[in-house]
Amino acid sequence: MTRIVAVLASLLRGLLQAALIVMLTFFLCRVMPGDVVDVLGLEGGLTAEQQAAMRHSLGLDRPLPLQFADWVGHALTGDFGRSIRFDRPVGEMLGAALPVTAKLAALSFCLGVALALLLAIAATARPSRWLDAAIDLVNTWSIAVPTFCAGVAAILVFSIWLGWLPVIGGLLVPVLVVGLDNAGQIVKPLGEELREAVLLPHVRTARAKGLSPWRTAFAHVLPAAMPVVLALSGLVLGGLVAGSLTMEVLFALPGLGSLTLNAIHGRDYPIILAAVTLIAVALVAINTIVDMLHRLIDPRVS
Amino acid sequence: MRPILEIADLDIAIAGRRVVRDLSLSIAPGETMALIGESGSGKSMTAAAVMGLLPRGARIAEHSRLRFDGVPLSPEDEVAMRPLRGRAMSMVFQDPMSCLNPFMVVAGQIDEALQRLGAGNGGQRRARMLELLGLVELPDPAVLARRYPHELSGGQQQRVMLAMALAAEPRLLIADEPTSALDATVQAEILGLLKSLQRKLGNALLFITHDLAAAAQLAHRIVVMRAGRVVEYGPAAVVLGDPREEYTRKLVSTRRMLAAPPPGRPEARAVDPALRIEGLVHDYPARRLFGRPFRSLHGVSLTIAPGETLGILGESGSGKSTLARLAIGLARSGAGEIALFGTSIAQRARLDRALRRRCQIIFQNPYGALNPRLTIEAAMREPLELLGLSGRDDRVRIEAALVDVGLGGEHLARYPHQLSGGQRQRVCIARALLSDPELLICDEIVSALDATVQMQVIAMLKALQAKRGFAMMFVGHDIEIVRWVSDRIAVMHRGRIVEQGPAAAIVTAPQAPYTQMLMAATLGSVAWPVPAGTSKGCDFECPIPGIEPMSGGGANARSLRPIKDEDVLSHATAAAVDGEDAA
Repeated sequence: MTRIVAVLASLLRGLLQAALIVMLTFFLCRVMPGDVVDVLGLEGGLTAEQQAAMRHSLGLDRPLPLQFADWVGHALTGDFGRSIRFDRPVGEMLGAALPVTAKLAALSFCLGVALALLLAIAATARPSRWLDAAIDLVNTWSIAVPTFCAGVAAILVFSIWLGWLPVIGGLLVPVLVVGLDNAGQIVKPLGEELREAVLLPHVRTARAKGLSPWRTAFAHVLPAAMPVVLALSGLVLGGLVAGSLTMEVLFALPGLGSLTLNAIHGRDYPIILAAVTLIAVALVAINTIVDMLHRLIDPRVS
Repeated sequence: MRPILEIADLDIAIAGRRVVRDLSLSIAPGETMALIGESGSGKSMTAAAVMGLLPRGARIAEHSRLRFDGVPLSPEDEVAMRPLRGRAMSMVFQDPMSCLNPFMVVAGQIDEALQRLGAGNGGQRRARMLELLGLVELPDPAVLARRYPHELSGGQQQRVMLAMALAAEPRLLIADEPTSALDATVQAEILGLLKSLQRKLGNALLFITHDLAAAAQLAHRIVVMRAGRVVEYGPAAVVLGDPREEYTRKLVSTRRMLAAPPPGRPEARAVDPALRIEGLVHDYPARRLFGRPFRSLHGVSLTIAPGETLGILGESGSGKSTLARLAIGLARSGAGEIALFGTSIAQRARLDRALRRRCQIIFQNPYGALNPRLTIEAAMREPLELLGLSGRDDRVRIEAALVDVGLGGEHLARYPHQLSGGQRQRVCIARALLSDPELLICDEIVSALDATVQMQVIAMLKALQAKRGFAMMFVGHDIEIVRWVSDRIAVMHRGRIVEQGPAAAIVTAPQAPYTQMLMAATLGSVAWPVPAGTSKGCDFECPIPGIEPMSGGGANARSLRPIKDEDVLSHATAAAVDGEDAA
């Protein structure tokens, strides 16, 4: 009971934050110099009268708070409007883009966490210089090499020199690049945490029971390090939104990142707002899930 | 009969420092051997070596020979040791709370030990698990098995540890201070259980303890260790009853210091009471949405005059530590008045520097009170800087403060983990006294320490008080110690002061029913294994004639019997002056 209330409270906090983010985005969009009609006007050579008429028909000349209230009202019923630029329902466009991004983010996240866990656990169970060196390498790589550099390099190596993979549209290379980056971000703190966890008294008890090193690691050391793993995972997931954006642009993946970026360039307000809302809600959901998992893993947290 | 465990010339070194030297002993099947010593004596290291659980960096010398049931042991070979652990030998540790996996229910943890034996399917293992929980006399095993460790009491946790250790019916059980983290009454239960289980299962027991009464109750033979060496070795009754070595005699008679009052009261430095508390109320906030807050203090009133020591006596959960924290402004009170040196602090969010300088607090756990990443010098420099007392001569002052508490300049560059518990608490005391406070609040400061160290620390504290004249609030649960240290005592029970008065009166003629009960319970467990015989060092009377060492009762024997002053103080002062062994 207490747990449910606590989870609900954190969910509510998150939703409030999401709402604030969306509101901020709405007003920031309008602060940007030039609006969607300017962009279309430049491209289509519209006269000032035509532009004014267009603004009026789109409702862009009404007071901002009113427009926002309007948008919120529609959004709450699930209607995110139509793209001004493409004149297609925003929902449909997001629906097409979302799976690409979700797949990219999920795969690179899984790869990253799995790789980091594997390295950290192996280094803790069987300490060796080689593993430590590998961990340092991955960590330094992710600090020193931005994903867009790594992405370009990967295109050069895999697609152009080796000719193994198509340059455009393939998920494998971006997943490798982002996954490695994620692994590098968390492998070091994870290793430290595990190294401290193996010295915990209950781990000594496990050894005194004669359990195998692997059993000790997975059943006794890892749960103790799990809160940190979760916290780091949440951090990485948050960063993935930005990370997948560059990858999508670089590899021409028709995902949420590309869509949003193009919408920002074209001042396509409905798409920007819908995409930001989606991302904010997704992050709130992730945070809530992390919070719930934490409570699930550690019975002492009420 | 072939010994189950045979240790010859055991030498263990950590980073070049020898922590165990030339230790030899053997345990016969079914025998109980007690390994007695203070912290840092190497007793736990010896046990860890037998199990192959030595910490990283510990090395066993080449010439050391360990044999288990005639077969040579190689404790540094993980692969060779693992088959033995949890089968032929197993171990129970000191602090059951942290030694059980907090993320796993009891059933899972015991099942692991059973799975490892490789016998039986799930159902059989479950039956065996319940049988084991019954064996350690836990009520309602099926319900308990589903609980997490933090949902059990300390005694229950230790029983679960025992059940786990006994899963394989090991031939050797090593118990490393199995009762020292538990309340006095629970200690007695666990010791009784260890004894009866051993009778039932016939395992040999290597029992590591600093508690002589516990050793007397359980052990057939005793090994007394000091600074890694064996000091004395022999049948329990002989070693405890008629110790040959000076050190053992000191151990046996350590609490006798408490029979005589400490050196005189210091002169008062001020007129205002150091601390005045009136009608203090404190609530812990409700943990559930609609829960009620827990009231930990119900209108507590007390006064501490300058230079006076007020003892706060109570069981765990009586609110005594909360009181200590409130008194120094570390927590906010619900209602009531707190005045430090005449200045009201009840409504303040924090104390200003001037007040902070005049009152200091020392906590129970010296392990947690020192930042493990700071050297002693850095840890002691901190309050000087925070209180605005820092100057050019910091290092000199810190060194002088360390000398005051029986340490020295050689400790400045050390880290907390390189010091013993007693030394750490001395550092905490030195740190608290750096600002020359007028009120020192001591929250159970000796309860985490060995008995002889306890005596040394409180003797030192009283000597410092006599010299410097600070007032003290001495919070504790050990009647004798609180009585010895305090001028007056306030007895706390469930957030209330049930009785308050001169120390001697509270102990000898308690008025409140609760105090009477407390005193009676303590008196009931008198039994030091001291013979009526007249060996050379035995210059005190036997507490109760006719009590035999082996049958001697309580785990936590604490004599409140008035002992004549002249009987005593030779050892006590010696202990206080000696200080601990430099680690």
